[in-house]
Amino acid sequence: MPDLTLREITATRYERPEIDRGYAGQTLKIDLSDGTIAMAPVTPVMKEKFVGGKGFDLWLLWHAVTADTRWNDPENAICIASGPMGGTPSYPGSGKSIVTTISPLTHMVIDSNVGGYFGPYLKFSGFDALQITGKSTEKTIIYIDGIEGKIEVLAADGLPEGAYEIAGGLTDQFSQAKPGNISVVCTGPGARHTLFGCLNFSWYDAKRKRARYKQAGRGGIGTVFADKGLVAVVARWDKVPLDVNQPADLEAAKAVGKRYSKEIVALDPKQNEMARVGTTHLVPIMNDFDCLPVHNFRYGRHPQANLIGRDVYQYLFDPGFDGCWKGCTVACSHGVKDFVPLTGPFKGQQVFVDGPEYETIAGCGSNLGIFDPFTILEINFYCDNYGLDTISVGTTIAFVMECYEMGLIDQTQTGGLVLSFGHRGNVLELIHQMGQGDGFGRIVGKGIRRLKAMFAKEYGTDPRILEDIGMESKGLEFSEYMTKESLAQQGGYGLALKGPQHDEAWLIFLDMVHNFMPTFEQKAENLHWFPMWRTWFSLCGLCKLPWNDVVPEDNKDTAEPAKVMKHINWYADYFTAVTGRNGTPDDLITMSEAVYNFQRIFNLKMGFGRREHDTLPYRAMGPVTEDEYDSRQERYDTQLKDAHGVDITGKDTAEKVALLRKFREEQYENLKGVVYERRGWTPEGIPTMATVKRLGIDFPDILEILKENGVTA
Amino acid sequence: MIHVDDKHIPWREGMTVTALIEALGASYEYPAVRVNNKIVSRPQFDHTPVPDEAKVFLIPLVAGG
Repeated sequence: MPDLTLREITATRYERPEIDRGYAGQTLKIDLSDGTIAMAPVTPVMKEKFVGGKGFDLWLLWHAVTADTRWNDPENAICIASGPMGGTPSYPGSGKSIVTTISPLTHMVIDSNVGGYFGPYLKFSGFDALQITGKSTEKTIIYIDGIEGKIEVLAADGLPEGAYEIAGGLTDQFSQAKPGNISVVCTGPGARHTLFGCLNFSWYDAKRKRARYKQAGRGGIGTVFADKGLVAVVARWDKVPLDVNQPADLEAAKAVGKRYSKEIVALDPKQNEMARVGTTHLVPIMNDFDCLPVHNFRYGRHPQANLIGRDVYQYLFDPGFDGCWKGCTVACSHGVKDFVPLTGPFKGQQVFVDGPEYETIAGCGSNLGIFDPFTILEINFYCDNYGLDTISVGTTIAFVMECYEMGLIDQTQTGGLVLSFGHRGNVLELIHQMGQGDGFGRIVGKGIRRLKAMFAKEYGTDPRILEDIGMESKGLEFSEYMTKESLAQQGGYGLALKGPQHDEAWLIFLDMVHNFMPTFEQKAENLHWFPMWRTWFSLCGLCKLPWNDVVPEDNKDTAEPAKVMKHINWYADYFTAVTGRNGTPDDLITMSEAVYNFQRIFNLKMGFGRREHDTLPYRAMGPVTEDEYDSRQERYDTQLKDAHGVDITGKDTAEKVALLRKFREEQYENLKGVVYERRGWTPEGIPTMATVKRLGIDFPDILEILKENGVTA
Repeated sequence: MIHVDDKHIPWREGMTVTALIEALGASYEYPAVRVNNKIVSRPQFDHTPVPDEAKVFLIPLVAGG
C-alpha cells in the first residue's frame, strides 16, 4: 500500500502476562472516542461462570451498554475473544474467535464464531478478550503487538476500500517479513452502506503466500465496526508451540488431541471429505431430502442442484491443506485460485476466492434460482470484499425476488432491474450497489424486516403476505435450510437467542432423516440439550465441526448417536487438561446453561427475549401459496387426513392451505411452551428465579430485570 | 465385487444401493453413501445401480450446520 500513512493517536507499552491454564488473565478495552487504552483483570466470577470466549464477550458487553443503547451509539461495544482452549495447535478446531455486539438488525446481542488467527493471537498477546467502544472521526486502525508488548491506535490515510486489499496490505505493512505473525480483522465498504456488514478475519496461507479469510458474518457486526470509524484491528504474534496455553496437564492435553487428530485423518476420507470438499457435500444431500432452500424457501429441491454442489466444486477448489487454524486436521477452508470476475471493480482480474461454503451456495445460489457455480463464486468474492454477510444477502435478495415475481414490487422500485429468480447479472448488480451504497441495492441492504415495513407503508403491499414470505425472525435473516417438514428445526430457528441461525440447534437432519426425536417431548429435550452443548464451543474458542462432522465408526451403535458422546467425553478431558478444572460432560452443559440464560436475560434487558419474539414467518412452517401446497400435495393431503383427522373430500387447495396452517401454527406454539418448561423458563419464555439461582447467575441486576418483567419465583 | 471398507460383496447385474445395503446386513439407516466419488442419498438408493468393482463408503452424517 504505497499511499498508506499512519499517525499515532494513542499508544501504550505493556508487560505481557504469561498464559496460565488457557488464560491470559486480563482483558483489553479501547475507547475510540478518546483513544483510551485500558487493561482489566479477569475476575474469578468471569472464569467460573462465563468460562471465556462468548461468555467473556457477553459479560463485557453487558457492562458497556444500557437498555437504551442503540447499535450505533458510542457505548455499544464490539467484543472479540478466544477461550481457554483457543489457540491449542494440537487439538482440531481450536482456533476460533467469538465476536459479539448489539446488532443493527435485531437491536439485541448478536454473536458470531469465526476462524482465522486473530483470537488466539490476541490471547497470546496477553488478552482473553478485547472490547472496543466509542467512535473515531478518523479512519482508525488498532494494532496489538504481542511480541513487542505495544498497543497503538492509529489514524490511517491512503487505505484501499476492499477487505481483501486492506487485510493483504496490512499483513505486509506489519509483518516485518513474517506474514504468518499477522492476523487482520476488517470489513469493506458494503458494511457502511447496509445493515448486514460482516467482518473478515485473516489467517496466513504459507503455501500460497497470501492472506486468507473467514467471516464473522451474522447480524451486522461489520456495520457496527464501520460505524465506529474502524478500518482494521491487527494482532501480531510469534510461534505457537504445543504448550502455548500452558495447560494444567500438558501430556493429557497432547494425548487427547493426538487421538482426535488421528481419528479425523483416518475417517474424514471415508465420510464427508471435509478436507477435500469442505461443506459442499451438503448441497446434493440437502437437495435429495427436500431441505435445500429454492426460490425464497418455497421448495426444498431443484433438478439443477447437482450443478452447484460437491460434484462441481471438488474440481474448482485449489487442492491443498486448508486449515483456518494451525494443526486443524478438518482443514475445510477451501478456495478457488485465479478466478476471473465478469463484473465489478475486479472485472477481468485474477483473484482468489475463499469459499464457497454450503451456506453461500444455498443462499446465493439455489435460493435465488442461480445454478451456476461461477456466479456463486463471484457473489462470494464480492460479498467478502465489500464486507457483506452472504447469508443475509442471499435471503434478503430471495425475498425481494419473490416480491418481484408476485408483482408486489416492479421495476419502478428496483431502479429498472428485472429481479426474477435466476437473474444472475442483476443479483450481482444489486450486490455492487450495496458495496457502493447506491441504487436499489442500498435499500435492499436494510434487511428484510425493514423492507417489509417499507413495502407495506410506501407501496401499499398487504403486510400479511410480506410477513409470511419474509424469512426473518427477530430481525435476522434465516440461514439456509428449508424447515417446513421439521418441527424441531422450526424450534431450532425460532427459539435461537440471536435469531434464525443454525449454530444453536441444527436438528433438521436428526429430526427429518434419522427420526431421532419422533415425540414432542424428545424434540423439546433436544431443543434444550443441543443449544447448550453448542454454546460451549463458543465459550472455549472452539469449532464445532470436529465434534460431529467426523464421527467414530461405532457411533451408530451407541445409545444416543446424535450426541456423539465419545467425542464429548474427549472434549471434557481436553477442558480438564487445559484448565485444570474438572469437567464432566454434564458439567460442560451446566456451564453453557449459565451463559445461555444470561444471554436470554440480556435480550430481556434490551426489550426482547419474550415469547412474542420467538416467532417465525409461516413460510418456515408450511406452504404459504397454493402452488407450494400443490407441489407436495400428496404429503400435505396425507398429513391432513392421517395426522389431523381431516376429511379433505371436496376441499379446494386454498381451504387445505388454511387448515394445514392452523395445525402447524398451533404445533409450533405448543412446542415453545414445552421447550420453555424444559429450559426452566416461564410460559412467557423468561428464565425463572429458581433457574438463575441454580446456575449461579443471580446477580442483583439480573434479579432486578426479572422482577421488572414479573418473574418473582 | 463391490468394496465397502474391508468388506467385499459379490456384485450382481442390476444391483442397487438398497440391495447392497441389504447384502451388508447394516442395521443402521445410512442417509447417504458414496459410490465411486458420487454421493447418493437415501431417496435415490432404490434406483441407483452400483457398478462392479465400485468403491463404496457408508456415510453416517449426523452433522451439518
